[in-house]
Amino acid sequence: MGNHATRHMMRRRNSGPFVAQRDGTYVMKLSPDVQALLVHMFGELRDVLTTGDSNEPALQRLFPVAYHLDAESNEEYQRLMRSELVASRLAAISRAVEVIDTAENQSPILTSGDMSQFMQSLNAIRLLLGTMLDVSEDDELNGQNGLEDDDPRLAQHHLYAYLGWLLEASISAQMNRGEIR
Amino acid sequence: MASTTESPAADVAVDEQLDTDKPWIVLVWNDPINLMSYVAFVLQKLFGYSNEKATELMLDVHHKGRAVVSSGARERAELDVFRLHEHGLWATMQRDT
Repeated sequence: MGNHATRHMMRRRNSGPFVAQRDGTYVMKLSPDVQALLVHMFGELRDVLTTGDSNEPALQRLFPVAYHLDAESNEEYQRLMRSELVASRLAAISRAVEVIDTAENQSPILTSGDMSQFMQSLNAIRLLLGTMLDVSEDDELNGQNGLEDDDPRLAQHHLYAYLGWLLEASISAQMNRGEIR
Repeated sequence: MASTTESPAADVAVDEQLDTDKPWIVLVWNDPINLMSYVAFVLQKLFGYSNEKATELMLDVHHKGRAVVSSGARERAELDVFRLHEHGLWATMQRDT
């Protein structure tokens, strides 16, 4: 498991991008550019889920095996549950996009349920990106993943790290409030 | 001629009966992508574990490669696996050994 985002969070614990409100909601303090980037990535994730081949290696982590010792049971499970998993992911993406879109470049306001949908979608993008980048647990120990400054994959690694930081921030905001004890 | 020896078929039936008595366990496996904090958070949220218990399970996943996070009837285990998959965790299930 990765833990690289912790260092960033320690520095920003008091000025994180998710600010808890007295009414139980959270205000997302992200620039319009970042909000637009998130909406774009959520849209790409939706496209992959609706048009991609779920047997592709890049999508393996989005559709894990359920019965690792029993191929027949796993096939039956996937036949029954895969479409439900896709539907659940699409519903989470739709809500995450809706929350940002309806804010119209203001600070989006998320309920606890919205935070959950947002986190699931954010994590799904990290699973997709991390699989494509073939991320390993050693990567965080190797600075910028051993890539040269002009490596075209560097931007994707930075995006992957940023999404990790954002996910960590959403967890921290909920833990600090006591949503989960 | 009567015999008290169990037939092979009966042995299998007994074994299967014992096997079906065993609960199903749900395992979460280590992966390099999911954040440690996220795994612990999801375990607390889905199963109502305390922070200490969820952290202990998360560290088992991280250091030992996997941890049993729930157990019970097959239908319950399938539901738990589905919820874990919804949250992006690498979860599988098997009959307890």
